[in-house]
Amino acid sequence: MSAQTFKILVTGPFAAGKTSMIQSVSQTHVISTDVVTSGDESGVKSHTTVAMDFGTYRLHGDDTRLLLFGTPGQARFRFMTNILKGHVDVVAFVIDAEATETHAVAGVELRALARDLRVPAVIAVNRCDDITVARRLARSLGALDGEAVVPCQLIDPDSGREVVVEILLTLLASIESTTAEVA
Amino acid sequence: MTPTDPTAILDELVESIDGVRAAILVSVDGFGRARSSSISDEPSHAAMLAAAIGLAHQLVVMGGGQQLRQLVVDHDGGLMLVWPIGDERVLAVIATTTVEQRRVRAFVQSRVAWFTGARS
Repeated sequence: MSAQTFKILVTGPFAAGKTSMIQSVSQTHVISTDVVTSGDESGVKSHTTVAMDFGTYRLHGDDTRLLLFGTPGQARFRFMTNILKGHVDVVAFVIDAEATETHAVAGVELRALARDLRVPAVIAVNRCDDITVARRLARSLGALDGEAVVPCQLIDPDSGREVVVEILLTLLASIESTTAEVA
Repeated sequence: MTPTDPTAILDELVESIDGVRAAILVSVDGFGRARSSSISDEPSHAAMLAAAIGLAHQLVVMGGGQQLRQLVVDHDGGLMLVWPIGDERVLAVIATTTVEQRRVRAFVQSRVAWFTGARS
């Protein structure tokens, strides 16, 4: 890979860890639209993204650059996902393993995105250390067999970078399979 | 008698200033708080206003500023004027192109405390 810019859509349910992931891995100042929550959501967390997060990641010693576009998680902001999902190369789908009440809707969303975008996905299973548990959850959400699954703790920047590594590997595999098809 | 609840104040705004068609008060995280009776209850309105004002705050930084004063959506059907109200609310006024913006702003400024919930 060289001199290439890829667009990554970071999406998933409310309070899954999308903003934390972008903030932990971005090498440039993160454009964030965090505001204070109100009502029931304020019991889950104090701030929420209302439009988008934007961060970047450049591979050391390479011209490969990732543009990370984070969406809000709540259904009422779905129009922002529709705005941001154009020309995406990889979907990074973040899910909180412990927030089981979000999983059913997340599965519907993940499958809809897969049908709609037809690009590879990386499933980042936040608040999870066990790859077996993470894989089982990803499968239950409708992730495909070959799709990358990463158990992670997104409050930890090193953990966020593991998700980025999987995104890069997924991009590489996707480019290789495209090249093979052309050849 | 002067109205004191946000819905009544928004109705007063529509009725008292020519060219104002509707007004909506929402929370910064995208929930409707009050609206004039001239506009229907549509949950996406609150979410769109929250997203737009959220991005506008970042555009201010890009423009070299520090504080968003007003977001104006100028379109072929008229104007939408959007203001942050305190740290937690957003007010949008839907109006004709010819509305006297100075009068709208003066009205809103005189009732800010009611919109923020600081008075009730």
